Amino acid sequence: MPTIAIDAMGGDFAPDEVVKGIAQLSLETDIQCLLVGDESHIQRILNDCTYDPERISIHHARDAIGMGEDPKAAVRAKRDASILVAAHRVATGDADALVTAGNTGAAMLACAQHFTVIPGVRTAALASVYPRQTEYPEQDGLALLLDVGATVHCDATELVQFALMGNAYARRISKISSPRVALLNMGSEPTTGGEVLAHAYRRLRTVPGLNFIGNIEGNDLAKGKADVIICEGLLGHVALKMLEGLAELVVDLAGTAAREHWRWKLGFMMLATSVGRLRDLTDYAAYGGAPVLGFEQLLITAHGRSSARAIKNAVKVAAKAVRDGVTGEIAAAIGQL
Amino acid sequence: MGPRRATRAPAREPGPLILRWDLDKTYLKTEFDSVRKLVRIPFEKPQDKVAVPGAVPLIRGLRDTAAHAGRTVQVYFISASPPQIAKAVKEKLALDGIEYDGIVFKNQWQHIVRGRFRNLREQVGYKLTELLASRRDTPVTADEILFGDDWESDPLIYSLYADVVAGRVDRDQLIDVLTVIGVDTRLIERAVELTGSVPRSDGIRRIYINLERRTPPTNFHAFGPRLVPTFNYLQAAACLFEDGYLTLPAVAAVAEHLISAGGSTPERLANALADVRRRGHLARTSAIAVREYLHARGLLPRRRHTAVQRSWWERLWPWEQLRQWVRLLTEQPEPAAPTAIDYRALVTDWRAGR
Repeated sequence: MPTIAIDAMGGDFAPDEVVKGIAQLSLETDIQCLLVGDESHIQRILNDCTYDPERISIHHARDAIGMGEDPKAAVRAKRDASILVAAHRVATGDADALVTAGNTGAAMLACAQHFTVIPGVRTAALASVYPRQTEYPEQDGLALLLDVGATVHCDATELVQFALMGNAYARRISKISSPRVALLNMGSEPTTGGEVLAHAYRRLRTVPGLNFIGNIEGNDLAKGKADVIICEGLLGHVALKMLEGLAELVVDLAGTAAREHWRWKLGFMMLATSVGRLRDLTDYAAYGGAPVLGFEQLLITAHGRSSARAIKNAVKVAAKAVRDGVTGEIAAAIGQL
Repeated sequence: MGPRRATRAPAREPGPLILRWDLDKTYLKTEFDSVRKLVRIPFEKPQDKVAVPGAVPLIRGLRDTAAHAGRTVQVYFISASPPQIAKAVKEKLALDGIEYDGIVFKNQWQHIVRGRFRNLREQVGYKLTELLASRRDTPVTADEILFGDDWESDPLIYSLYADVVAGRVDRDQLIDVLTVIGVDTRLIERAVELTGSVPRSDGIRRIYINLERRTPPTNFHAFGPRLVPTFNYLQAAACLFEDGYLTLPAVAAVAEHLISAGGSTPERLANALADVRRRGHLARTSAIAVREYLHARGLLPRRRHTAVQRSWWERLWPWEQLRQWVRLLTEQPEPAAPTAIDYRALVTDWRAGR
């Protein structure tokens, strides 16, 4: 069973929700969890939980990096911060992967400091999964979007590498034998979007074994056209936040309307199941977390507002990625490029 | 919870060491969480019954350690199961090689015949009177270690028993608490009568509660440091080593059994050991002694020591061994400082939380 290091102090509701999630997980799976953070605080929370101590170890770390802190300054100043210590434990082989709901920038820097980049990879990518329509019954309800913030702008080579990394992740985690990979662009024509995207398009067409389906536009994101969508970090981050915002807006609007007029309320009640399903679809807690791809070690970043359930699912995703050899598959794909 | 540190007293003439074990979920891995499993119990053969991993070597280790120190040991089992399963249980104990001095079963049939149906499920009155009756015939110098689980009311029964024997709960308080619990008046009268005839002694040293249901440890804080909730018998063994009731080889035997019969792994045992230390039930020095001994026998994963740590431990280890043996032969553990338990409030909270 894999050992997963968890930054116990990272996240808006840390360490309480993180520790509770791990306590629940310890009763459900064989995953070994290494909680990194303030030992006495973590144990106090555990004492109030139903848990299996045989599956939980704690590594004390004095400091923690807050969600609002400047990542660079914090990583420099807090050498014993939980995220840095956790990354170090993974790098030394004491754990197989790292999960954090904390400051994403600090997590990326911690990985850059301690993890080893897969030979040939130019830059790591932060991926995210999001719900989308499905076109056939067995299709995974989640698509993978990368990069969503590890980079700002990138060149064609980096986009091609993102495609290979996303392809490997989808093959292993979503069990899609030949994931459909697309490039997020402002039009479907091969030459649109400027020189970098056009160059990336041409190169992606020629990568053997990659099921590249061409460019897709923003309105295709929520459709089931592609399983892996590639873009530079700035664009990916904006797209992801917009998807999240829209989903919240729909749920909020429905609730507000229902409160204002009885006819709307009646309609809302009739649609309750559908709204509930929409809420479920946009519930990040169900997806666990998103991977950072490109290192020999694996990092899963969970949402900052992660509940115990979200943390639990993030650790499950990490364990699955370790078991299924995601990083090995990525290394093999990059090696063949 | 504060640490349960025991102070140590100079050697005195040792009385017998009495081990009292609850049977189901403490010694035996009895499955009665569904009606189907409950119905199967009377038909189980001795060889079908399974001991909780670590329980058998723990009892053997306690016996051997006490015998080595020149103490007699008595082992008693108390069960809320009916006497109809006594034969199979006794045969199971024989199969496990466990010698015992007494075993009590609850005569449920008697309650049915007399129409006392409430007594069928009520265990506090039954177990408390049985414990007091047994204690009445015990030398006043006897020390007791009690083992129970978190399924029914063992923490409450054992704590009440310890405080009644120590004279910290008087007759009126006992009547009050047992009445609040809803114990049959005849059993209350019997408990009060026994209380008067039991010699006063602070001899109940420790209560170990096997967290079979994984009840949160905080739920037991009100019982004070005398009660130690443990997730497996390695945790109990480590604490018993600290108190001088077990040797390190006996602790290792428990760890071995957890791996061979309980499906545990060295990594999981290391986590369990660290957990009981973090919860304040095991001193850091004792935890290190246990850990290093188990490491050396491959029962815990090998840690990557720095050269400084390694040389420190290598120098310390013979002294630590010598200290443990001297302590075992010359000192006897004193009970953890008793905590004044408000049983009335505890009964209300305890029953509300269950």
